[in-house]
Amino acid sequence: MDTTVRDLSQKQGSALISVENLHAGYGKIEALHGISFHVEQGEIVTLIGSNGAGKSSTLKALMRLAPPESPTVTSGEIRCKGQSLLNVEPHNVVDRFKMTLVPEGRHIFGNLTVMENLHLAAWTRKNEDTRKSLDHIFGLFPRLAERARQRSDTLSGGEQQMLAVGRALMTNCSVILLDEPSMGLAPVLMYDMFRTLKRLNDSGLTIVVVEQNARLALEVADRGYVLDTGEIVAEGSGEELMRRPEIMEAYLGG
Amino acid sequence: MLSLSGLWSLPCNPTASAQPMEQFIQQCVNALQWGSFYALIALGYTLVYGVLRLINFAHGDIFMVGAYISFFVSTFFLSSSGPALSRDLALALTIPCTVVLTSGVGVTLERIAYRPLRRKGVHRLYVVITALMCGLVLENGNLALLGASRKALPDLLDKHIYMISGIAVTNLKLIVICTALLVFFALHFIVTRSRIGMAMRAVAWDEFALPLMGIPLDRVIVFTFMLGSGIAGLGGMLFAMSYPVLDPYMGAMTGWKAFIAAVVGGIGDIRGAFVGGFLLAFVEIMVAAFLPSTFRDLFAFSILLLILWKRPTGIFGMPMSTKI
Repeated sequence: MDTTVRDLSQKQGSALISVENLHAGYGKIEALHGISFHVEQGEIVTLIGSNGAGKSSTLKALMRLAPPESPTVTSGEIRCKGQSLLNVEPHNVVDRFKMTLVPEGRHIFGNLTVMENLHLAAWTRKNEDTRKSLDHIFGLFPRLAERARQRSDTLSGGEQQMLAVGRALMTNCSVILLDEPSMGLAPVLMYDMFRTLKRLNDSGLTIVVVEQNARLALEVADRGYVLDTGEIVAEGSGEELMRRPEIMEAYLGG
Repeated sequence: MLSLSGLWSLPCNPTASAQPMEQFIQQCVNALQWGSFYALIALGYTLVYGVLRLINFAHGDIFMVGAYISFFVSTFFLSSSGPALSRDLALALTIPCTVVLTSGVGVTLERIAYRPLRRKGVHRLYVVITALMCGLVLENGNLALLGASRKALPDLLDKHIYMISGIAVTNLKLIVICTALLVFFALHFIVTRSRIGMAMRAVAWDEFALPLMGIPLDRVIVFTFMLGSGIAGLGGMLFAMSYPVLDPYMGAMTGWKAFIAAVVGGIGDIRGAFVGGFLLAFVEIMVAAFLPSTFRDLFAFSILLLILWKRPTGIFGMPMSTKI
């Protein structure tokens, strides 16, 4: 399976993001054992798998975040728009490659107000008028508009997740990576969040989403990859993966 | 440290024979000046701690370096073989030069000592020990380079003494106190209103997420060190103008005390650093004024201990919430 995946990805010279035989780890412990995948412009791609499969590590490696929180790439290649990201600093991944991450656990700036969080995310858009983006975000998440002047650590979990996504949109990125966006959300909010992501995708945003709730992710995703202990063990369209009983049993809880 | 006792003597009281009330107000004025120095140093401690959770123990020595830089710069401007400027012009030029050069020293320290450790993701404890060593390197480097002889800052200002109903206030005292106030308000403005200040507050909360907004973390950190060291440089210069004898260890004890002031105020909060600096100076000066002066530090620190006992996170401190 490993070789076929690699062959496939090597044919994809034109992919927006392509990861080739990526090995990465924390110190001496390798977390990713040569994974390869690609993301096309305008797709929703999901990475699914159990705890410790390397999903979050993959996203952090894509963003080029620094250790110790993120893995160090030992070999392989990450390309965005044909260019290698390996020697790019994380803030330049956002600034030049227009890709950002909504991290697991949201990581909003709790000591800043909702508005300050959003303004700060427009850092790379210094001389632009950001009012349109703000209106867009408040249109998607009306709750944030109500709480604009509130310290963001006073928001509920769902609202914090909205802010985390809103902040990512505010950077004006064309690719957004999401790490467990449904974590800690009530089912209703979870479906709302994924509906919103689908809407954003319809208007052109490329999305890579890591999810524990694989069924939900596969329903909205164009394609999915299944990770197991640092390797990609299956790939296919969302429907395909959901139809395969052995995958459903092993990774999706039946 | 004994040989330095002259340096640590507090501003003397020119109206010793005055009425108790006047004497008290006179001591208050002195405490305001003395507290200004503590506050200016404590602000730098609290800035770096607030943003990075790093106690920059070299900061007191940055203050010393600032005093020396002002000495060299002003001597150069005044020397007859150099530009031979007038005193007013020399003063006007020495201030920005000292601030810029001292912040350069702070940034260099961050660059060569702290950043490599941060890159490796080591525990904060090692960075703090490194800071302690950097301070010792600055002190002893100064000693090796310039020798043990003390330097005296040239006179940059004509001293005027204003007598206001029996209370003596010099123009220098007013300048020191006003500078501390101005610096505080400027810093408060930067931190609460500017974009970079917003980024500094964001780092204080969560440095992991900052690059995800496209913000270069290193630039925010360098800016923090620039601010802190620049303010310490300004403080060092004003200190050298007030007590014009410089020696390599002048930053050590003052730095420690300013650090304690910052902790008592609530480290990480700039109002805390400011209030803590003045509080420490008031306690010190009042103890020295009304009790034998050997009691000064014992009483001062006992009182601070009591404050921390009551409020372990300092006057303005809140456990792990809004720093800076």
